[in-house]
Amino acid sequence: MTDLWQKRLRRHQLNQFKYLRLIFNDNFVLAFIVLIGALGFWYSNLLGTIHHQLVLGKPIVILILFLAVQIGGIATLLEDPDSTFLLVKEKQFYRYFKAAKNYSVFIPIVTLALVNFLLSAFASRAAGLKIIDIVLIAIGLIVFKLGFLNVNFMALYGENHLGSLDLKLFSNILLVVSLIVSTYFFSATMIVVALVYYLFLNVRVKPLETSGRLRWEYAIATENQRMFRIKRFYNLFTDVPGVNSKIKRRKWLDGLFNFIKPKKRNTYLFLFARGFVRNNEYIGLFLRLTIIQAIMLCLIDSFYISLIVEMLFIYLVGFQLKPYFKEVMQNLMQRLYPISGKEKIASFTKLSTVILTIQWIISAFAILYKFGMSTNSLIIIIAGLAVLVFVNYFYMPRQLKKYLD
Amino acid sequence: MTLEVKELTGGYGQVAVLKKETFTVESGQVVGLIGLNGAGKSTTIKHIIGLLTPRGGQILIDGISLHDDVEKYRKKIAYVPEMPILYPELTLREHIDLTIMAYGLDHDKTWENANKLLKTFRLDNKLDWFPQNFSKGMKQKVMIVCAFMTDASLFIIDEPFTGLDPLAVNDLLNIVEAKKKAGCSVLMSTHILATVQNHADKFVLINQGQVRADGTLDELKKKFNMQADTNLDDIYIKMSHEDL
Repeated sequence: MTDLWQKRLRRHQLNQFKYLRLIFNDNFVLAFIVLIGALGFWYSNLLGTIHHQLVLGKPIVILILFLAVQIGGIATLLEDPDSTFLLVKEKQFYRYFKAAKNYSVFIPIVTLALVNFLLSAFASRAAGLKIIDIVLIAIGLIVFKLGFLNVNFMALYGENHLGSLDLKLFSNILLVVSLIVSTYFFSATMIVVALVYYLFLNVRVKPLETSGRLRWEYAIATENQRMFRIKRFYNLFTDVPGVNSKIKRRKWLDGLFNFIKPKKRNTYLFLFARGFVRNNEYIGLFLRLTIIQAIMLCLIDSFYISLIVEMLFIYLVGFQLKPYFKEVMQNLMQRLYPISGKEKIASFTKLSTVILTIQWIISAFAILYKFGMSTNSLIIIIAGLAVLVFVNYFYMPRQLKKYLD
Repeated sequence: MTLEVKELTGGYGQVAVLKKETFTVESGQVVGLIGLNGAGKSTTIKHIIGLLTPRGGQILIDGISLHDDVEKYRKKIAYVPEMPILYPELTLREHIDLTIMAYGLDHDKTWENANKLLKTFRLDNKLDWFPQNFSKGMKQKVMIVCAFMTDASLFIIDEPFTGLDPLAVNDLLNIVEAKKKAGCSVLMSTHILATVQNHADKFVLINQGQVRADGTLDELKKKFNMQADTNLDDIYIKMSHEDL
């Protein structure tokens, strides 16, 4: 069974590397590096404004650390056919999962270390914690998380209960209480609680090896969801096969399509507009990026960073719309329509112009809110418009051409 | 409407699947395209509708090729693929609207045709459904409706009978018959020989990318030296044993 795990892990890692390579190949990454730089700049500015301990300092630290512990579960790498083909091996799966758990500790440890490291500056300024406190809490949280993974393990067997008490809920309450005690009173509490918790769960996991009944459906569904989340993330940067987006009717938005007259030259606009509005992936992306952009523009004081955010986000939305065109072009039936590729591209650019204009108007309001009626506002807004024109009239037509056949 | 396939050679990439195929479909004819899995039926169809480009030979509809006039050529054809292909974001009603727009059809007249077909296939109360809610057979029916409501003169159907319930098979055959009476031509590939034997005027037998024989059932019997009471099944099996 551990051989099977090793084989799957190797294949999984190869797949991950393939996608990571694709992601780090694209100019999109440059954009993200700029974004991270902007966030870092914002964070250090924020720290500069904090001169004494804040009332909300400790609650914020507790909240962020609590959320950080939730990140990462067991990567079981189970597959749908397992419940048919490997059903006979059910008893041996304990060792398989054990190997999976050992592998799965890596991401939580790195995440917790990183979050604690980044948070330490804030924690010492705003929450009045000493470095030694932060280190003790960080170690405590990592040990706690190692115990917490056992709860995920037990859930695979449906044994994640303590009497009638759900172990996950119990763990989270315990976590919050010990975080409060360690930040406000005595920081070593976290380590002590975590050690006891870890040892207790290790004892509880053991009997599953001989008496556990695996919950196949749950285990496979959980793993599929986990994979889907990873792939959806990769899908932001590159095309991942097998990521199907959800379609919603949104009948209340049908009025929007009244502007599209049922004429032959509007055939593709008819199709693209409906697809964009109803496909969660694309409308979701547009809404997420537009809202994040508006919030950032409302918060950031620096002219240059606002300028970058305005231009970058408009470019990003335009860039992210391309895969939708590709998706439609892969439909065989539409290739038979007596409509030229030029008209297809023209229809798509029409749609993207409308979308980016809406985004541009919303961002303009955010800029005016922050900078008022000033030359700075004007420059940023015009720069946004320039990106809009560039994306729709120069970038898009050239990029879309390669998807036509 | 006349479809002429002359010395057609082609396939995917470098591999030539089809080798010098020649056959014709005349006005008002229903022609069955018959062959084993992998014989080249679907590949032939893909060349005719223009999804693949021939490497040699010619395909003419009423004397024009895809190369001469893309729009004119495409408007003459309606195609029902083997696997239904629908837009996940469009409702059934919108699929029909889109087809009307794409082919520049008359809105009211086409909807009249469509409504009749929708009723026949019991889809008339599902106009606001998305493809994800349809079963495979229902999707197939949607494809049939979208193809047969148009004013095309050549209907190409790839494996139409698999996945349809017996009632729908019967309905489809009636529709094909009606189109034939109206002077249109139908080319269909299939494995359901008993059905096609009764409803097609002519058969094109394809084996390993070549037209082994074509003609009416009687002509085929002569070509294969078979007795008078043989059916298409016997001929088909004889043909498939030839290369062993």
